Amino acid sequence: MPVSDELDEIQAIFFEECAEGLAVAEQGLSAMAAGDVSKEVIGGVFRAVHSIKGGSGAFGHAALLAFSHCFENVLDEVRGGKIPATAEVTKVMLAAFDVLADHVGAAQGVVPPPADAAALAALEEVLATKGAGSGVAVTAVAPAAPAPPPPAPPPPAAAEPAEDQFGFTPLVATVEELDPFGFEPVGVALDDLGPDDSQPWTVRFAPSRAALGNGAEPLLTVRELERLGGVITEVDCSALPALRDLDPEESYLVWTLSLPRNVEESAIAECFDFVAPDSLIEITRADAPAPTPASPPPPPLVADPGSAGTPVLTLVDTVATPAAKPVPPPEARPMDAVLQTIRVDLTKLDMLLNLVGELVIRNSILSDRLSPVDQERVELPELARLTREIQDNVMSLRAQPIRQAFSRVPRMLRDLTAETGKQVILEISGETTEVDKGVIEKIGDPLTHMIRNAVDHGVESPADRIAAGKPAEGVIKLSAEQKGARIFVRVSDDGKGIDRPRVRAMAIDKGIIAADAVLSDEEIDQLICAPGFSTAATISSISGRGVGMDVVRSNVEALGGRVDITSTPGVGTTFTMILPLTLAILDGMIVRLAGQRFVLPLTNVIETVRPEPGQVRPLTPTSEVIELRGSYLPVKRLTNLFGFADAPRRLPEESLVIIVESETVGNVGLMVDTIDDRREVVIKSLDQNLYPIRGLGGATILGDGSIALILDIDALVASSGAMASNIPLKGLAA
Amino acid sequence: MKKLILTVDDSASMRMLLKASLTAQGFRIESANDGEHGLERMHDVLPDLLITDINMPKMDGFELIEAVRAVPQFRGTPILVLSTEFSDEKKLRAREAGATGWITKPFDSEKLGAAIRRVCP
Repeated sequence: MPVSDELDEIQAIFFEECAEGLAVAEQGLSAMAAGDVSKEVIGGVFRAVHSIKGGSGAFGHAALLAFSHCFENVLDEVRGGKIPATAEVTKVMLAAFDVLADHVGAAQGVVPPPADAAALAALEEVLATKGAGSGVAVTAVAPAAPAPPPPAPPPPAAAEPAEDQFGFTPLVATVEELDPFGFEPVGVALDDLGPDDSQPWTVRFAPSRAALGNGAEPLLTVRELERLGGVITEVDCSALPALRDLDPEESYLVWTLSLPRNVEESAIAECFDFVAPDSLIEITRADAPAPTPASPPPPPLVADPGSAGTPVLTLVDTVATPAAKPVPPPEARPMDAVLQTIRVDLTKLDMLLNLVGELVIRNSILSDRLSPVDQERVELPELARLTREIQDNVMSLRAQPIRQAFSRVPRMLRDLTAETGKQVILEISGETTEVDKGVIEKIGDPLTHMIRNAVDHGVESPADRIAAGKPAEGVIKLSAEQKGARIFVRVSDDGKGIDRPRVRAMAIDKGIIAADAVLSDEEIDQLICAPGFSTAATISSISGRGVGMDVVRSNVEALGGRVDITSTPGVGTTFTMILPLTLAILDGMIVRLAGQRFVLPLTNVIETVRPEPGQVRPLTPTSEVIELRGSYLPVKRLTNLFGFADAPRRLPEESLVIIVESETVGNVGLMVDTIDDRREVVIKSLDQNLYPIRGLGGATILGDGSIALILDIDALVASSGAMASNIPLKGLAA
Repeated sequence: MKKLILTVDDSASMRMLLKASLTAQGFRIESANDGEHGLERMHDVLPDLLITDINMPKMDGFELIEAVRAVPQFRGTPILVLSTEFSDEKKLRAREAGATGWITKPFDSEKLGAAIRRVCP
């Protein structure tokens, strides 16, 4: 047996296969729901569920095995055309899919075992009624008739495996011959009889012609019987022809063997497991099990017509040739292609990434220190190019298709539409876009909130949609695309758009904005993501009424991204998450403060202003504002924020004001001395090397080898005791 | 000489599980991940026994068995089907295609070993 570590590892691979299988099954079932019931699609779903079942048995996940087995039975019938792939049947299978996914999760120990009774019952009903059950419209199957046809008796295929199936205990094999013998063991308590040297078992074996085909060797069967203690008592050679007439592929001999009493009948039968079904196999027992030795042996299941006299138990093929031709398996689809992969511990990848980061830094140090001529002489540009290529490659190792994050959306949408009664079609595009694993892990919750929001507040009820002249079914589009070093993930709906008067009223009500604030449409839209706007702000609100859009914004910004909202009343709303491609490299602006250099993430930067005299004015003794195109924004002196108290106080017109966007206080001007450079920097975590410092997102090593701290704009402006919002300030400008 | 077995299964975990449990029982194992690959490997590996799954992409187990049996060199090679399928219809089809025996998944590794020795001593 494999050792347990090895088993664990294999099991981990099995779960990966399950995830792939579930994705294939879901894709196929969705296609079926959309009307594509081609053999390829159904076959793909069948194979996926079948594989999950196969492995679940091997690894002893009984509940998963039982459920996937039942699901597979239905799929097999649908695949064979015995159950029509009606919308109703597909719906039952989609529901079963969700339960199957939960079973897989439960087998991994990530979720509790699902309650599958309802889904099982629905599957069983589909099997029993051939998809015509539950009184729902099944026009495709049932011709118009005055009365619904009585439900068909359960097909044998359904009943027989069920019993086989639920009797499975993990890791117990059933080694079977091509024809199940199906006889009852002769009811003898062998142990009671005690040891006996006599040989009461008689076995007659006449291999058929077929027994020599298919790579089988009847002699092995005779040898195996001998190992059980069997003795050849007779070999009937009467059928053996003269040598010149001998057909080497024909079988001419009939063996008779006697076996000891302590041999189980099942052990004898097992020897014939792989013997062609049309061979003559007789197993008889001379001493009767009953108290009276004269009484005949139990009635045989099949009387051997060839044997005269004593009735014998004859094991012959009882399998009728199936009426239906087996269904040819569907053509393979590209997505079934086996990927050549190797599993690598994530920490090793991270270490590699870190080392490559060091290499990049060393490279820029060299380019700083060497004169252009020396750089050419040592071929530094080529080294830099190679380094960059290695870096890109290592980054791509951590990149995974965003499909993983998208995969849970279809199911969530099904739950949501069931809950709200709205009808929604989901269109997904760009799911192969590759994103850093860390990003994928962290956009799950924001995505959930965005979808929930689109269904709850975007898409109207079918009645409202029809009244508005739209199709009853709303469309939610989920897409991902890469532009430069950013990933754009969009959720757009064709619903009613953001109800701006209501959002505004709620924001005033909750004290987020002043009652007299003058806001643009875009600013009102952004209020949805303001902290405290949602009725419930926590992740648990998925099941409640609130949408927690501020969670979306804070999660996305924690990743160094941002959320854009565009909405047109009556036409729809689009939420866009703009995310960095990677968490390890950042596009930064190198700024100088009191002689020190800092890195400002470029994603936060909106514009840079060199203030005219008088453009920055004090508002209170401790705060300043900048006038920008008729509106006022708060200005923070970074030297003050960092407590460089002894730094000479520069005049605003000798400084630069960088307008940055922040989550907590909107747009803010940050006053810095100068801007040095703009470059990509490798982020080094402070948490790992020091401890987290509020206002700092990490550190990096610059080309000259010096260390620069990376600013965390949101934390910085929030911790500086900024105002709740800069929006009311707009009133000043009026 | 240890017996050489070619296992054909589209599931990597199943291939690994087979390899681990059969190697421990003194067999040498080669693997292929679908019927097409299996047929190709037959010619490289020349195994003493072929164990194949039924439901596989590209070329399924039935087609593989038929294709293997069509090669004169492999007419006498024992072929065991290892599948979660267990319907008589499928077993008969496998028999007709040229399978020597049928083992239903999930398998117990010792019993699998015994079954293998039954066709491949």
